Amino acid sequence: MLSQHLGAVCKPLVKKADTVQAGQKIGDRDAFVSAPVHSPISGKVKEIALRSHAVLGRSPAIVIEALPDNPTKRSGLDLGGDFDESRYSAEQICQAVREAGIVGMGGAGFPTRVKIEPDPQVPKETLIINGCECEPYITCDYRIMLEWTDQIVAGVKLAGKASGCSQVFIAIEDNKPKAIEAISAALSKSGNGDNIRVVPMKTKYPQGGERQLIRAILKRNVPTGGIPPMIGAVVLNVATVAAIAEAVVSGSPLTHRVVTVTGEAVARPGNYYVPIGTSVEDLIEFCGGVTELSAKIVLGGPMMGIAIADLGTPITKTTNAVTVLTKEQIGRAKFAGRQTACIRCGRCLQVCPENLIPTKIAHAVKHNLLDVAERNYINACIQCGCCSYVCPANIELTGYIKTGKLFLARQKKKMAESSV
Amino acid sequence: MKRICRSGIRTLRYHKMLKDIRVSCAPHISQPLSTRSVMIDVIIGLVPAMAAAGYYFRIHAAILIATCVITCVATEGLCNLIRKKPNSLDDFSAVVTGIVLALSLPPKLPVWTAVVGGVFSIAIGKMVFGGLGANIFNPAMIGRAFLTASFGVMMTSWTVPATMDPAMPAIAQENALNARTQATPLAWSKLAIKNKLGADIYSEQQFKAAVTGEVGGCLGETSVIAILIGGLYLLVRRTIDLHIPAAVLAAAFVFGGIAYLIDSYVYVQPFFHLSTGGLLLCAFFIATDPVTAPLTRRGMWLFGIGVGTVTMLIRIVGEYPEGVMYSVLLMNAVTPLIDRLFKRIPAGGKPSV
Repeated sequence: MLSQHLGAVCKPLVKKADTVQAGQKIGDRDAFVSAPVHSPISGKVKEIALRSHAVLGRSPAIVIEALPDNPTKRSGLDLGGDFDESRYSAEQICQAVREAGIVGMGGAGFPTRVKIEPDPQVPKETLIINGCECEPYITCDYRIMLEWTDQIVAGVKLAGKASGCSQVFIAIEDNKPKAIEAISAALSKSGNGDNIRVVPMKTKYPQGGERQLIRAILKRNVPTGGIPPMIGAVVLNVATVAAIAEAVVSGSPLTHRVVTVTGEAVARPGNYYVPIGTSVEDLIEFCGGVTELSAKIVLGGPMMGIAIADLGTPITKTTNAVTVLTKEQIGRAKFAGRQTACIRCGRCLQVCPENLIPTKIAHAVKHNLLDVAERNYINACIQCGCCSYVCPANIELTGYIKTGKLFLARQKKKMAESSV
Repeated sequence: MKRICRSGIRTLRYHKMLKDIRVSCAPHISQPLSTRSVMIDVIIGLVPAMAAAGYYFRIHAAILIATCVITCVATEGLCNLIRKKPNSLDDFSAVVTGIVLALSLPPKLPVWTAVVGGVFSIAIGKMVFGGLGANIFNPAMIGRAFLTASFGVMMTSWTVPATMDPAMPAIAQENALNARTQATPLAWSKLAIKNKLGADIYSEQQFKAAVTGEVGGCLGETSVIAILIGGLYLLVRRTIDLHIPAAVLAAAFVFGGIAYLIDSYVYVQPFFHLSTGGLLLCAFFIATDPVTAPLTRRGMWLFGIGVGTVTMLIRIVGEYPEGVMYSVLLMNAVTPLIDRLFKRIPAGGKPSV
């Protein structure tokens, strides 16, 4: 996949029939908001063609056929005794992060280098490390906090140094006391962790969204339509932080990630260390296959994940989970897609974390009244899915809003083009 | 756009094991909640009031409730047939309308009148607007308003509860219909206001009766205890929010209190106002109809205060002894305005662009 992040799509650096090594850069782009792509395996380039992509539908990809004797990549990073972040300069860290192709691994996939690089106009003050699981069902962040504790702490320090943040928070949900304990212990062991604080967070959904985290920790709101750096905050996922440590210390690019394979229809659910680019089919096969009950295959969690129709869809840098849901888990009415009329019960208003009126926006979109939707702040929606989750009439509020946002963006683009 | 939005979408035969894979937009799980379950909750909440009605008005209660429910359901089915719309009876909203309508009618109303009310409620109150969710006014209140306007005498003939001690002569009297009827507490209070009688004696005597429900009035509004039990159930089940009932009752109490403070000889105590007439039934079961109430919390408060205030204005200043029905309809009419008044600002503030 040449587009695994937000921003400009990469250009392939290899040709058909080229031989590539594991870790070799195979796609890159000069644009500032972009991240290179590396091959996780050694092999031969079979073709460069369009492939199913979870978010984009179809997208250019480099298909690599593995050589028979591919070494397995060891998970985690050996820091080799004491770790001292002062060995690396901020520029070095940023450069390493950029070269390793690290993007936000929580789901959005914003290039990390852009996030952590100091901006002379708005100095970054606060770094929040997101150890709150994005969604129910997913446990990959929890797992790596337990297993890669030292690596994460090292990554936190590196990210803090690169961004120049004076205070660092590690936010962990309070249903993971073991992770809180492990991270705290590692922090006190490594010393100089005075400005790094572990904050237990209330376990709820959506807590792992960056706007939600900033609101909960700093008691400040990110402006609507804005991004966290506008108020001097940077939010990084623990998986991203772990990747930063690996990139800076050992110089190895982001080619593997931990994926939670879950759902009642999976034979052996668990957290797997997966080469990026593995097809969902291979991964499910590796987990013992799925049962006949499976009704939906979702890349990501059940609240925001994307249901896929093609099992050849690859795991990308941002795929934190593969959830295979059964009919029972989905619910009969939801499975059938049966929607009834809105009874204006107001449940969607109460659950909306961004204080919107989902039903109003969704119905405006339904009737193609994009201006009404915009007046009701459609673009402030974070698409957490809570409104659809609670709706007794089973209306796909989030789906409508998502579509509306898409149409609105398209309309804006068209207008901008015509006015030029 | 519709193609994308509609879930249910494509099935795919890709893998031997995966015969029926669906694709739709997120989220992929949902709360086990449906419009039907919400309506069933409301019906359960109405059970105590129906039971009280059955206890005090015996067979009349059963006949009236059955008539209204059957008429409402049949009318909705018929409307769907005529409009060639899919069957909407399985959401049970017509049943709720039927029960609420029955509970707000005088116990001994002739069956045919109740049928007229039921038909009008559903056909004109709900289906002409496009069915559930699209109606502007509370259907049951529309039906009741129609009956009040058309059959005034029938709608104000109050039967004495069957359990009532016949030796309560002060308020019981024979009338032309040859049934034992009595003035409702509110009618009496109105009389007191108009003729400057002492209201205090009466109100003390009646307060206990109103709590148990052993008093004349509409079928389901007499028993305070039964309504409170049902309302509490809805609150606990979170089927309704506290905002509207609290606002209605608080506003009514405040206005009743003001009147009482001005002239305690003529005006009854504020608690008396809360416990009599349809105010409680309205606060918990009628004004809380989500379709015709505002969406936002602040809107709900304003709506509730409006209902309580208008009710008390009608009761104290107006010509009618009871004003719940008209106040609910009036506030229903301004609900879209209330919704427009209280915009929700996104958590991150208004976008700068």
